[in-house]
Amino acid sequence: MNREQLKTILWLRWRLTRNQWARSGGLGAVLAVLVGVGALVLGALSFAGGLLGAIYGLREAAPFVVMMVWLVVTGAFLFFWMIGLLAELQRSETIDLQRLMHLPVALGQLFVVNYLTSHLALSILLMVPGMIGLAIGLVIARGPLMLLLLPLALAMVFMITAWTYCLRGWLAAMMTNPRRRRTIIMGITLAFVLLGQGPNLYFNVIRRNAGPSPRTAATPEEAQRRREDRSAAMRKLRDRLFTAQRFIPPLWLPAGTQALAEGRALPAVLGTLGCFTLGALGLRRAYRSTVRFYQGETGGKAVARTGTAPVSPAAAAAARAGVRFLELRLPIVPEQAAALALATLRSLLRAPEVKMAWASSFIVTVILGSSLFLRSASKIPDVTKPFVAGGAMAFSIFMLVQFLANQFGFDRDGFRALILSPAERRLVLLGKNLAGLTVGATSGTLLLALVSIWLRLPPLALVAALFQLATLLLLAGLVGNLLSILVPYRIQSGSMKPTKMPGLAMLVMVLCHLLFPLALAPVFVPPLLELLWRMAGWPAAVPVNLICSVALAALMAFGYWLALEPLGRLLQRRETKILRVVTLEVE
Amino acid sequence: MNVAIETFNLTRDFGTFRAVNQLNLRVESGRFYGFLGPNGAGKSTTIKMLTGLLAPSAGTMRLLGEEVGDPRRALAVKRRLGVVPENLALFDNLTAREYLTFIGRMYLLPPATVRERCDELLTMMDLAREEKKLTLEFSHGMKKKLSLAAALIPNPDLLFLDEPFEGVDAVASRVLRDTLKQCVGRGATVFLTSHILEIVEKLCTDVGIIAQGRLVHQGTMAELHRDGSLEDKFLAVVGDGKGEAQTLSWLEA
Repeated sequence: MNREQLKTILWLRWRLTRNQWARSGGLGAVLAVLVGVGALVLGALSFAGGLLGAIYGLREAAPFVVMMVWLVVTGAFLFFWMIGLLAELQRSETIDLQRLMHLPVALGQLFVVNYLTSHLALSILLMVPGMIGLAIGLVIARGPLMLLLLPLALAMVFMITAWTYCLRGWLAAMMTNPRRRRTIIMGITLAFVLLGQGPNLYFNVIRRNAGPSPRTAATPEEAQRRREDRSAAMRKLRDRLFTAQRFIPPLWLPAGTQALAEGRALPAVLGTLGCFTLGALGLRRAYRSTVRFYQGETGGKAVARTGTAPVSPAAAAAARAGVRFLELRLPIVPEQAAALALATLRSLLRAPEVKMAWASSFIVTVILGSSLFLRSASKIPDVTKPFVAGGAMAFSIFMLVQFLANQFGFDRDGFRALILSPAERRLVLLGKNLAGLTVGATSGTLLLALVSIWLRLPPLALVAALFQLATLLLLAGLVGNLLSILVPYRIQSGSMKPTKMPGLAMLVMVLCHLLFPLALAPVFVPPLLELLWRMAGWPAAVPVNLICSVALAALMAFGYWLALEPLGRLLQRRETKILRVVTLEVE
Repeated sequence: MNVAIETFNLTRDFGTFRAVNQLNLRVESGRFYGFLGPNGAGKSTTIKMLTGLLAPSAGTMRLLGEEVGDPRRALAVKRRLGVVPENLALFDNLTAREYLTFIGRMYLLPPATVRERCDELLTMMDLAREEKKLTLEFSHGMKKKLSLAAALIPNPDLLFLDEPFEGVDAVASRVLRDTLKQCVGRGATVFLTSHILEIVEKLCTDVGIIAQGRLVHQGTMAELHRDGSLEDKFLAVVGDGKGEAQTLSWLEA
């Protein structure tokens, strides 16, 4: 590749980004520029912070403390890098090599350009200047031996970026099969959600069993014993960390730092060499995978498996069973609404991105709930337990807001079929709600079951909660319908990522989603009335919560039914506009 | 004779760009109408407006004698339409049979009819072997065939087909042509766009040509043949003589 070609490739990269900004409207472009400038400013601040922090904070610090600082920095870098990686995984390459392979440019050169441009990430802009500042600050504060820290830190960054680039290439090859692509993205995102909840789980659920606090001890002897137990546990943890540092390459950076702070250069040099060698191996592997992929040697199995092989009798039977599901008649539900509900439900249950969203919403609710209430379950008074149950159900419904408030965004091209269909639009809304809220009802019921066991919810409160769940679903359906019609947005196929959104639409969407919980607030009215009833000292035997919950659910059902017709008319009036928005990219 | 499609000054603007300009179409029932035009002439925009996928900026239209601007009548008309839109209209996560079953139910066909028609259409379109594949795994040609099958399943009185033969293999194309002829034979109207002039010439009884959003020619194929071939007429109306005059400077010896 000569200089002109390199310039052209870089121009292409810039142009693609610029056009994307331009397409997202004026406000979008301003936001993008603000993010870019903000990242540069934060990068400069992170450099200055690292430099000054090292000079004034780590001059006299113990080597273990210096190591711990680098351990946190390494962890932060990996965390931010993974967030960026997750977003980038939606695309196989920074610039799709297949679009350039017919041009007179060598694959290797394109590979290098793509690898280098993969460094234009927020995590690098934020963290690497901070690392460099910290390393230079340590040189100033603790002497020239710390200079070895700079190559060590850069080698660690190189190793991480090279192997993640390799991982991206491998996944890109795997994702040539569109079905597998979505499953992979789902798996990674779900793993990421779990990883993100790790600290929460550790501190609030697991560590609470680490031993009682010395502050709560009854006697000084007991407090002393508890302190000793805690010190022993810390020593054990430190030993484990030192062992892990030998075997986990990213931890070679903090280990090398500690050694340098103790005046030993060899571990840092070895760490640098090790990281650099591993990085080079990762890059070599990435290149070889790229070559194999573009020579058609990778992903062949995926293609073969989904090719036109004869269908086995078992597979054919499974396919027939799938069709039978779509042929089901639902009692009371009108034919077209039933058809749409079943087709949408089938479609959603096959969409890994939707399953991922639902699974993560359920997991996050359970983890947050357990971290909030596990310690104090026994102390919660009976009269407030219905609030907890209602809150858990409302939170699980709120976590589905991205789906419920943008029901047509997931259909994309399928929404065109709905417009072309002769079904009354109120039935379209009913069908959509029946599908989406089935999932809401499932997760809500599961959570209610968990909460009932956890809090030993009184039976009447449990029955009332079931009616509250029905109210929640109807409210979510109503508000979701309105938002889906008024503020639709496009979701990138195979992901939950909104794309090509004008800035104003994005603001409106965020605002609507933030205010969504307010719409669910009426569900707390029945337990509140019961609370007031009890506070007034009136007979406790009257199940106020249950009576009000039943009445509220009935009222909501009536309101929902009344609203379907006008909402259907609104949908019919706006359906071409919605179609334009949700299919913007392909039109 | 009944009129299947009638538009009055149908217009569509995209910002300052006028994609369709005061279009006055008239297609009689039972005709096979070919709607032609160069790229960007406004063919797909017209079909989108006629089928309710895009709202017109101005003008009115009547399909099968009904005013489709009236939302109450629009759904009644849609029950009698079959459409293959430009960007198709498939659900990614359904199989071909599931999608056809869904469409059949939306048209309120009895379950036995849906099953029977699904079997026939899947066999005809050579999609029966792909029972397990989701439509997102289909090739463009397979998606087009499935979309065609979905348009045919309600046995419509009026079919709108946007480039129905694009990406379809020769065997399916032949079967499709015969099927469309059968539809017209039993009184249905077919309105199709295509870039393949030979197919239009063989199939269509009537032709409309649109250029830069305006209808520049409308008439029967028989009338058109009196002045030469369809290609001659097409080039004369929309070509501006460019096809013959333009050459590349570096190819000149």
